[in-house]
Amino acid sequence: MAEIRLDDVAHRYPGAAADTLSGVNLVIPAGEAHALLGGSGAGKTTLVNLLSGLQPPSAGTLSFDGVDVGSLPPRDRRVAQVFQFPVLYQSMTVAEVLAFPLRNRGWKRAAARERARDIAGRLDLTRWLDARAAALPLFQQQLVGIGRALVRPDIALVLLDEPLTAVEPATKWQLRRAIRDVQRELGATMVYVTHDQTEAMTFADRISVVHDGRILQTDTPEALYNRPAHEHVAHFIGSPGMNLLQATVAGGTFRVGDQTVAAARDLGDGPCTLGFRPEWAALDRDGAGPVATVRGARVLGVEAHRPVGIVTADLGGQTVRTRQIIDVEPGDRVALRVDPARLVAFRDGVRVATVEAARA
Amino acid sequence: MRRWDNRAWLGVLPVVLIVAFSAVVPLMTVVNYSVQDIFDLNNRLFVGFEWYRDTLRDPRFLEALLRQLGFSALVLAIEIPLGILVARNLPRRGASAGVWLVVLAIPLLIPWNVVGTIWQMFARPDIGLLGAGVNALGLDFNFTADPVDAWIVLLMMDVWHWTSLVALLAYAGLAAIPEPYYQAAELDGAGRWQVFRHVELPGLKPVLLIAGLLRLMDSLMIYTEPFVLTGGGPGSSTTFLSQHLTTMAVGQFDLGPAAAFSVLYFLVILLLCWLFYTAVMRSEDVEGGPGGH
Amino acid sequence: MGTEAKRRQPRWLLYGYCLYLALPIYWLATMALQSNQDIVGDLEIVPSRLTLANFAEIVGNPVWYSAFGHSLSYVILNTLISVTVALPAAYAFSRYRFVGDKHLFFWLLTNRMAPPAVFLLPFFQLYSAIGLFDTPLAVALAHCLFTVPLAVWILEGFMSGVPRSLDEMARIDGHGLGYFFFRLFLPNIRGGIAVTVFFCFMFSWVELLLARTLTGSETKPIVVVMTRTVSASGLDWGVLAAAGLLTILPGVAVVWFVRRDLVKGFALGRV
Repeated sequence: MAEIRLDDVAHRYPGAAADTLSGVNLVIPAGEAHALLGGSGAGKTTLVNLLSGLQPPSAGTLSFDGVDVGSLPPRDRRVAQVFQFPVLYQSMTVAEVLAFPLRNRGWKRAAARERARDIAGRLDLTRWLDARAAALPLFQQQLVGIGRALVRPDIALVLLDEPLTAVEPATKWQLRRAIRDVQRELGATMVYVTHDQTEAMTFADRISVVHDGRILQTDTPEALYNRPAHEHVAHFIGSPGMNLLQATVAGGTFRVGDQTVAAARDLGDGPCTLGFRPEWAALDRDGAGPVATVRGARVLGVEAHRPVGIVTADLGGQTVRTRQIIDVEPGDRVALRVDPARLVAFRDGVRVATVEAARA
Repeated sequence: MRRWDNRAWLGVLPVVLIVAFSAVVPLMTVVNYSVQDIFDLNNRLFVGFEWYRDTLRDPRFLEALLRQLGFSALVLAIEIPLGILVARNLPRRGASAGVWLVVLAIPLLIPWNVVGTIWQMFARPDIGLLGAGVNALGLDFNFTADPVDAWIVLLMMDVWHWTSLVALLAYAGLAAIPEPYYQAAELDGAGRWQVFRHVELPGLKPVLLIAGLLRLMDSLMIYTEPFVLTGGGPGSSTTFLSQHLTTMAVGQFDLGPAAAFSVLYFLVILLLCWLFYTAVMRSEDVEGGPGGH
Repeated sequence: MGTEAKRRQPRWLLYGYCLYLALPIYWLATMALQSNQDIVGDLEIVPSRLTLANFAEIVGNPVWYSAFGHSLSYVILNTLISVTVALPAAYAFSRYRFVGDKHLFFWLLTNRMAPPAVFLLPFFQLYSAIGLFDTPLAVALAHCLFTVPLAVWILEGFMSGVPRSLDEMARIDGHGLGYFFFRLFLPNIRGGIAVTVFFCFMFSWVELLLARTLTGSETKPIVVVMTRTVSASGLDWGVLAAAGLLTILPGVAVVWFVRRDLVKGFALGRV
């Protein structure tokens, strides 16, 4: 397994007016489970194609363990890929599919078969070894695809491109866990592409959020959730996403409209955006704080005999959502209470460090 | 799954009527004739299977059948691989793809007797580019006199005429193979032959089955092109079943024997197509079925 | 994409094959543009004396140009009939199971395997008996023997590629069968219809045996006129070549106009 390093990598299709990817800097340590998270058209697929070698970078360097691989063809990169849909050779058995990459690289038949058997064992595929791969259920077919990707011991990087797309929703988590388990066991460097934040959060050690041809933030799932570096990340991650309120800093306080929300230290006067997660705030009938009007309350579940849910309120023309015990009703005049230590402030879409510094 | 609904018969009824009109009535007539001795249309005698026995013992029928089988086998052996090769080299996208398809389709759209005429003009040793050209190289070439030369020209003509059909169908089959299959093979380090063997050939199988069946049927029915090009000669070296049959039915007005010949001819085609179909389907079982190893 | 360029062999094979396709047609064209004297005279790869006399002969002679009309009329008639009857049948085969469906499909295909030579005489008698002999309709119907099974076969493949959910959505939206079929369903298989038209046109336009048997003096098609020219006036190579060249044009025109849909149809891989 290898450390993957991208330095200032860009890609532009021949004849296109703009880059599909630009200024990508990323280091993935050997053995890390990494996720690329973003919506469609964000540039995830292009990034995967750069890593696998199907497309060359138009600028920057791409190296595996310090060796520049930018100009190497796919077959020489020690990269394997698992696709959205099972891509298996129709005429082969599971054992033959698994042994195929090894045989192509000069392994003896017996050794390749032994290794294929070992990988099949790890993925619980042993009893299918002699069945025709393309005739298996989709779940097992995808497992075979994963096995094929992991079968070469010298593999540098395994790419997984939305690998759960084809399997039934009920079994997605099982397949995800199977992938994660075998990743840990073999210490494989994996890049997992998805548009689904839950998949990314539960799979990856670290996640890169891709948007508009750039990587906005690379961090652990926890850090992405609590300290998004970018407004887009704040909004994209979480369900519902972070509250983002247009605010101003004036005289050391954050103000929304003419109401003071919290104290702001070390931050110059001017407009900013305030971010906080719905569960970091509550709307109280009797509390102190900026006044809002409840628009609706939706019960999501019950905790300790009390319904818990999302409350939506209007704060000076902006929408606020909180996740709380539902003890308010539409039309109520309420006060917004936010944990000031967790507030995130953005200027020009990018997080400013002040609030965190203030907390420390 | 498709639903059971016998009202669907309403949808197929027009097809059944029109094909039955064109096929069932004439076929019954042929079968009817094949068991009678017909002196004229009002004077006939039931003779049972006599015409069938005669036909099966007729050396001219058996020779024509052998020639026919040899011709069809050669045609398939050349056109299918060549068609796949051509299809693999065609561009998949863009304006040029359309132009290539039009170019390839041209031989298919030429009336069959014109195909014969074109090749006659092209291959004649006196006025043809090919015939005169080969003779200019010092080889003695005359397809109107030499059976081997006649066969060569006939095969060249059929390859010229029909390889495009295989190529177009194979092109369709290749276009339907999703790009990730090629990417996976590339990442697996597969060589060009392995990509063909494990990615392209399985993807091509359904269209190759159709292409093979169409070429088999049509080569077994070939009439017009050799009729124009060689007239079945020299001697009877290029007389195939259809030509033998039309000579009998139209030229000699031997209705009974011609009808028996027709029925046998039809059965031969059905049998060969069925054999071809099951052979292709069986090879799939042996190679990939769950119990195949 | 990189892999696609790599897996292609050099284009020489394609160009070589095209040269093979082009040479006989080129030779036909040179003959069409030469007088018989020059054709029979010294062989020239690039003819030095060109003439349009052969084409003038065809344009000026009603036997020739009316023969073109006769051919086109039965070919178009056949294509129309084939596609019209094949559409509902293909839909039935692709969407429903019914009594005898498999046998019926197989029976249709066996008709594609019947050698026209077998049916010459019965066809002649049948069409004479019902008074259709020597009409374009006779040839069109006879050609249905092999175009209809093929049309059903091709269209069924394309229709099976259209998800059934489209049918169900239309039913839920309350569209009638006619609206659904013509406005919603057929646009999805444009490519398939183009491929079908191509094959029907092709197999009807090129056929000689049935066309010759079922036409008399009234509707003699171009393919028949050509064979008679050979026998009648001996070896009028120039006119023969010119007429041959002209018979290539309608097919090329058809395939040129549907080429985009054809590419799309072929790209679906459902032929």
